Parts: sequence; C-alpha cells; structure tokens
Amino acid sequence: MSTVGVERGGDPARSSTHRDELVGLVALIAAGVLITAVGMRLLTGPLATLAVAGLLAIVATLIVMAIAGGPQARRRLAPYGLLKPGILWLALFYLAPLFALARESLSTLPSRFAVEAEFDWNTGNYAQAFSDFGPQFTRGFVYAAVATALCIAIGYPLAYVIAFRGGRWRNLLLGLVVVPFFTSYLIRTIAWSSLLADSGPIVGAIDGLRLTSVFEALQIMDNDRLINTPAAVIGGLTYNFLPFMILPIYVSLEKINPALVDAAKDLYSPAPSAFRRIVLPLSLPGVFAGTLLTFIPAAGDFINAEYLGNPNTTMIGNSIQDQFLVQNDRPLAAAMSFVLMAVITVAVFFYTKFLGTEELS
Amino acid sequence: MTSSDRPRPPFDRRQFLLRSSALGAAGLSLPAILAACGGDDDEDASTGAAGGTSETTGATSAGTGGASTPGGGGGDELFFENWPEYIDPTEDGLTGTADRFIEASGVQLRYTDAFNDNNEYFALIQPQLGTGGTIEPDIIAPTSWLAGRLISLGWVDKLPVDQVPNATNLRADLRQPSWDPTGEYSLPWQTGITGIAYNLDATGRELASVEELFDPAFRGRIGMLSEMRDTIGLIMLGLGADPASITSFDDAAAAFEQLVAAKADGQIRAFTGNDYLDDLSTGNFAACIGWSGDVVQLARDNPAVRFVIPEEGGMSWADTMVMPKGAVNRDAAAKWMDYVYDPVQAAQITAWVQFVSPVTGVQEEVAKLDAELAESPLLFPDEETLSRLHSFANLEEDVEAEFDAAFSDIIGA
Repeated sequence: MSTVGVERGGDPARSSTHRDELVGLVALIAAGVLITAVGMRLLTGPLATLAVAGLLAIVATLIVMAIAGGPQARRRLAPYGLLKPGILWLALFYLAPLFALARESLSTLPSRFAVEAEFDWNTGNYAQAFSDFGPQFTRGFVYAAVATALCIAIGYPLAYVIAFRGGRWRNLLLGLVVVPFFTSYLIRTIAWSSLLADSGPIVGAIDGLRLTSVFEALQIMDNDRLINTPAAVIGGLTYNFLPFMILPIYVSLEKINPALVDAAKDLYSPAPSAFRRIVLPLSLPGVFAGTLLTFIPAAGDFINAEYLGNPNTTMIGNSIQDQFLVQNDRPLAAAMSFVLMAVITVAVFFYTKFLGTEELS
Repeated sequence: MTSSDRPRPPFDRRQFLLRSSALGAAGLSLPAILAACGGDDDEDASTGAAGGTSETTGATSAGTGGASTPGGGGGDELFFENWPEYIDPTEDGLTGTADRFIEASGVQLRYTDAFNDNNEYFALIQPQLGTGGTIEPDIIAPTSWLAGRLISLGWVDKLPVDQVPNATNLRADLRQPSWDPTGEYSLPWQTGITGIAYNLDATGRELASVEELFDPAFRGRIGMLSEMRDTIGLIMLGLGADPASITSFDDAAAAFEQLVAAKADGQIRAFTGNDYLDDLSTGNFAACIGWSGDVVQLARDNPAVRFVIPEEGGMSWADTMVMPKGAVNRDAAAKWMDYVYDPVQAAQITAWVQFVSPVTGVQEEVAKLDAELAESPLLFPDEETLSRLHSFANLEEDVEAEFDAAFSDIIGA
C-alpha cells in the first residue's frame, strides 16, 4: 500500500485513488476467499462452479476497470493485479489444505472404519496427540537438533574450505555437494541401510580394526550392529540434510571480502582471532538460514527412522505417517501435524528472536 | 562500520534472504505431510509399486486370445492383486501359472503383487470402498480376518461360485470357514504356517522354541510381523496359551506385556510386513517370525535360512480371494478360480510357493514333479504337524478394536 501512496502528493483526484485501491484490495481478498473455499470443498457442485465463475468475473471486472480507467487507475491497480497469481496459488495450495487439515483435526470418526470424519470441535484429538505421542515428539526434536549440530560441525569447515581455499576447484566442489540430489532421497537412505548392515562393509571394517568395543562404549553401536540404532537415524538425517547447511553457509562466506581478513592481520590480529571476530560473525546469517533449512524438515522426517531405525527410535513423522496411512485415523494425524507445526513455529520464532542475526547488518 | 547515515531500505538484501529462507524452510516440512495425504486417492500407486518380477500382462499372449472367450460381458480381462512371491513365475524355461492361464483361457490377466501388509492394504482401499467407490483390481487377496471384515462391511461382492466347478476340490475345512460362514464371498488362495525363521549364520545354533526369540543374545536382531494375529498368536503359544480360545483382551494381555517388554529392551529390530525376507537373508535378523513358504523359498537360495514350527506350536492361517464391490470381470474371475483349483495347476503353484495348498489332490500331483517335496510336512502337514498348529480366534468387533489399538501402539510408536 505504501508504495502506491507515494503518488498521492498533489493528486487532485485523491478520493478516486482511495476507491481504486479499495476495489483492488477487496477483489484480491474476495478472490482468495473464494478459491480457498473451493479448495477446502466447502463449496461443491454448482456452488463451486458459481464460485469459479465469480472469480473470473472479479478478474474480468478489474481488467475492464484498468482499461477504462486510464493510466492513473492502471497504475494504482497494477500491484493488486500482480499479486493475484501468487495469492491465488497460496490460497489454493497452502491455505485451503491448511484449513482443511485444521478442520479435520477437530473432527471425529463416526465409526471405526468410517472414511469421512464429522466436524464437531473435537479437541480430544489434540489431547490424544500429546498424551500418546510425547516420546515421539521428543525424539523427533532431539534427533533433529543433534543432526543440525552435526551438520554445522561438518558443513561449516567444508563451506569454509570451498569458499576460501577452493580456488579454481570451487565450482566443482560445490557441484559435488549437490551431486547426491541427483539420486532420490529414498534410494540414498536405503543405500545407507545396506552400507550399515550387519554383514556390510562398515561393520566389517570396524570389526577388522577391533574397534567394536570403542563404538559400543560411545553408544554408536549396539550389540555389534550399526543399523537400526539411534546413531544410524541421526547419521542418516545428518547425511541427508548436510547440503542444506553447506550451501547457505557457503553463500555467506563467499560474500566476505578477503581484504577484511588481510586488514585484521595487518593490525596484528592472530588468525584465530581474525576468524572469530570477522569471518564468523559475517557468516552467521548463513549458519542461521542453514539451521532452519536443516532442523525444520529433519524434525518432521520419517524416512530415516523408517529405514535406519528400530521400533524404539520412531520420530513424530513416523507416527503421523502411520496414523494417516495405516491406522486411517485422519483426525488424530491432522492434530499431530498441527502440534508439530505449532512447536516448530514457536521454536523458530524464539530462535529468530534471541539468536537471529538481523542486527548484524 | 555504521550505516545509519545512509537511508535504510525497508528490507535489505540479507534480511530478505534470511526471511525468505525461513519461509522456505517452514514450507519444507509440509511435503511429507502432504505426500501422506495424497496417497489414498491414487490407488494405482499400489500397483505401480509392485515388483516387476512376477507381473504378467495379457499383452504377452494377445494373439492367442479372442477366439476362446465365449463368455463376453467384459470376460476377457482380469486384474488380480496378490502378495509378493505368491505364484510361480515364468522362468527357467517353465511357464508360470498366470501365463499358462492366459494361454489357456485367452483372458488378459494382469497380476500384481502390491500386498505387503493387510492393514496397509486396507487403509489403501478404505477411502474408495468406504464411500461407495470401486477399486481397480477384480480380485484381491486379504488374509482371512480381513476378508471377514470386508464381508461384514459389505465391501465385497458375492463370488460367481456356481461358475467354479473345481471348487469341489477344496479342502473340507475351507468350504464354509468361520470368516465367511456361507462360503459365498471368499475362496482361499493359499494357506500356510506361521513359525520361526532364522539365519543359522547369525544365530550360530538351531532354534526350536518361541522363547528363544527373547534370548538376550539376540538383542536387536529379532524381527516380528506387523500382522497382529501372527505375532501375538505365536507369543501366546510360547506362553502356553491358546489363541483359538481368545474371548477378551485379558486372554492375550500377557503376550502383549511380553512384547512391550521385549521392545523396550531393544530386543526387536523391526516390525515388518512381507519385507522381512531381505533382513533374514542378509543376517540383519538372526531370527524372526515368518511364513512357511516364504522362508522355504528363500532357503533354496540361502541354505543358512531355516524355518521351524516351534515346539510350543505354530499358527495356521489362510489368504483368500475376494472380489471388491463393483468388480466388473466376474466371468474371467470365475475362470481364473476354476483354473487354479485344478489340482494339476495348483500343484505347479504349490511346488514353487511352498505353502499349504487349499486344493485336495495336490500332493499326488506334486509327487510327479518332485517326490521329495511331496513328503514335506510344511507343504502337506501330517496328523502330527496339524496337531501342533493353532488358529487365531475370530474376534468380536469391539475386542478386535482393542487388540488393534494395543498392537499398533507397540509397532507404530
């Protein structure tokens, strides 16, 4: 709105500005609401057709207004017109499913094998999500947090080397970081389950080096096995999300002017101190972005725990998947999804609030 | 380093990057959930996931069809969705039963093996059948208890039993079974035995008892089935209880307790559907609960793999053929059922899958193919073996709900 307001100074037709803006805004909201309602299947059959027709009518009216209204009106309506595709997309593919899921989470299945849940403000699903799945929520967040910390520990030095020591190999090295994405996530995880298998090469090597007792003491191995342990799940998460940590850190490191480090050295700063006081603070935005990109999807992941875990390492993602696809208790699964989303949102909010690096700029 | 003397844009580049990446990350956790939502209205995915090895399409014999299909009424196509490794494939110069049927009848049979777990399959078809819709397969192969549930929900059609003259060859105990008292809705596909499968290389010793699954030496190396009646049934037998006489949850409470404790101790590596065979073969599972024919098949390739009916007893079960509501190719389905109940054809299936055939007269036919196999008590249980096999009680609906809830808490959580 404020960008349009710039036009206001000395405009004689100020009321028409207001009118055009109001029309544009109302049309945008109306279109968004209509398409959300259709997406949620609140409007079905002839009503849905009517809604889509209404949507087209709104768009057509705006176009007519823009054509008829002359350059001033076109200019004022343009931002709303440009926002429309994005808003409608979000309304149909984000808001509508989200509201539908929220509605489902407050519904009750009328009988054990019923397909359609009945909406009746049943908050019991949320109570059950907390009471029955506490350990899974905890494990999901703990595993994701450990994996994120490991990603920083592995990803930061790697990004540093690529950014500052990569030289002409830089693009190749970055390419190598991305190469695993050419293979499906699922395939890569299943490949790990073969590599870590009891008769696989890694356990064989550890055995051959007589290191089994060391790994057992570190709680990485359990009764001579690597796979189907918490360590394997966390390892899988770390492996799968590592590129999401490396790339943002690399981007922020790459922007640092090496002259800053040279200047610090000119001022007799030892290298570690130069790193701590210059490079590290300037790269924190990358670490921050990488943390979000890693932690959030890792907390909801179910593939790693499915293929690399055991019945005692299930994460909340597994429980949601099980409730959705095997138990067919969609209301409970929807409630669990919302709890997961809420916890992540709150966690990210506080993380941004207290550890965010916006002040650095 | 101050920038306060310059006009500050409302959003600088770094903040924009940060915020947009935070938004992007928030979006990333959704696909998993959305993917979970999407699965149900796409039951084709199930067939797509089926392994290609035993898939047979009518296309291979398109030329031989046509003339030999007098039935009409959509009678020349058929879609049978079954469990994996559950029919003899065309290999090693032998023509599999599905292909022989295509050649003999002209029916274009599409055979897939999408079943991995009864509960999963039920969840897959529930959205369609539960809302009056139809699913693509003409015949599906639920285990008896699930067939019973589908029958009581009214989600299956009556079978064209009068067009299956060979049904008279069925074993007497399978004609009007407890899950289908009138015998109109289901016919058996195969029956079998649940017992202990183990990998001799990983155990280092022969196993004989259910109790050995709880041996601390095998901590983290034991597999159990996500099929409640097999896992709980076998544990009950280990505890000296009879799963056939269950009337309430209390009758099985001790077995559930033992399972919960074993899980908490880390004894159990995984709860699996039909996908336990890989882990057993590689030795990830030292021992697991398994199905007789599967394991005997596997043992042909890997002699370290063994199957044993525990000394406390084993479970017996039956997988059925039912036609989901609205299945169209009834004539072709009747032809198929009639074909596989011919002892000569049934023997071909039995010799390969090595389960217990529902058809009488198969033992004689198998003897012509492989005399040694015809003596195996796992394929043709003698009186002594039969006396050690138990079935799982037919649970009342509310009791079943209690069992399912308790069991899914253990395996899904």
